Amino acid sequence: MHSGTDQKTIFEDVARVLSARSHTQAAIRPDTRIGADLEIDSVEIFDIVMELEDLYNISLPVEAASDIDTVQDLVAKIGQLANVR
Amino acid sequence: MFDSDAKKSDIFEKFEKIGQRAEAVLSLGKLPFGMTFDEILSPTRALVNGREIILAGTNNYLGLTFSEAVKSAAIDAIARQGTATTGSRLANGTFREHIDLEEDLKTFFGAKSAVVFTTGYQANLAAISTLAGRGDHLLIDADSHACIYDGCRLSDAETIRFRHNSPEDLAKRLARLPDEGARLVVVEGLYSMLGDVAPLDEFVAVAHEHGAYLYVDEAHSVGCYGERGRGLADALGVLDKIDFLSGTFSKSFASIGGFCVSRHSGLDLMRLVSRPYLFTASGSPSNVAAARAAMGEMMNGPDLSRELMARAHQLHAGLAEAGFAPASPPGPIIALPRPDELTAVREWNQLLAAGIYVNLAVPPATPHAKSLLRLSVSAAHSAQEIDAIVSAFRDLT
Repeated sequence: MHSGTDQKTIFEDVARVLSARSHTQAAIRPDTRIGADLEIDSVEIFDIVMELEDLYNISLPVEAASDIDTVQDLVAKIGQLANVR
Repeated sequence: MFDSDAKKSDIFEKFEKIGQRAEAVLSLGKLPFGMTFDEILSPTRALVNGREIILAGTNNYLGLTFSEAVKSAAIDAIARQGTATTGSRLANGTFREHIDLEEDLKTFFGAKSAVVFTTGYQANLAAISTLAGRGDHLLIDADSHACIYDGCRLSDAETIRFRHNSPEDLAKRLARLPDEGARLVVVEGLYSMLGDVAPLDEFVAVAHEHGAYLYVDEAHSVGCYGERGRGLADALGVLDKIDFLSGTFSKSFASIGGFCVSRHSGLDLMRLVSRPYLFTASGSPSNVAAARAAMGEMMNGPDLSRELMARAHQLHAGLAEAGFAPASPPGPIIALPRPDELTAVREWNQLLAAGIYVNLAVPPATPHAKSLLRLSVSAAHSAQEIDAIVSAFRDLT
């Protein structure tokens, strides 16, 4: 389990997990769109989320996934859940 | 009349990509999705383009669609009660046989309450969305069927996924939840894509430890497992510990419709508030009668689940011997992962040309983006038909 919950650490973790699953060469930046730019589909994103959930010991509700478009959206959501824990 | 048919935006544009994918599949032969069977000859045979084929992908596990008792019950119901109810259960759509069917289900599963729905999809949609409300938590297996996901979407509860068939992961996620609100864990008995079964006894223990209700969808496993086909929970000795058990009449029950039974009498209150129960017409007299007759066959007729499992073992062994690697141990569903979608489509066409119909399953309907050739076994398959299926797989190039 991960102990750090600052935005920079979360971004690095998210970027690492996303780059392993990306179907394109697009750079992973905060404004990168997970679906449109990395071509990661809605089923794959669930697997990615599970990996990050384990890392931060959080549970991200399925309903929240539909609000996640960019890398920053995912980073912010993880930060929110990890810090309120 | 209008001068032009111009729209602000093309409403079909969003389907362009999936349309292109379907065209690529079609270029390899027939379109496997929504295939037309010109005539159904038996639970295991059909005519396609004038040619008789063996059906190995129908979910007709007990082969009761052609049972004389089931057919007679359906025909008799039409003769006595007409072709439709023309109304919802709450209004004019509850006939005596809907109530009788619910009583039969209570007897069959030893349940306190039973509610019948118009389809299996609606059973899960209705029960899950209604049982779990605002402030509650739904915990669902990651590989859940679309109707479970849709039930969650319709619910006001928060939905958390846990890793497929992992009681440990479920326990971890339950432990993270706040104390407030009810917890409803949703799993399936037999998973329709890969044909693997859930460790229901372990899920019962975890749910109990964390004060959660356990809901099991036995759509595929009822009829196939347990004493007289009562399902996987019965086979594992935990039927009386399951809070809610749902299922469909469209597989082993040789009809169409769905149900949810419970050891809690509170389930009956759902009739007053569940939208997929209230706002749709009830099952037709013939469908209800067919489901009742099929349940009667399961309870009192020959034990078809034994026949089914014997054929399943024969097919599983034959395919393994032919060099294929089924995704799960022998069971009513045998899934063969293929290297990629185009290979699966090409092989599906070869099998059809050889007179064998199986299901083609591709992402996103499959777990882990797998492309599968999926077979379902029927108690009505003869040993010779199973041999013919294996032979066609052996001849794949």
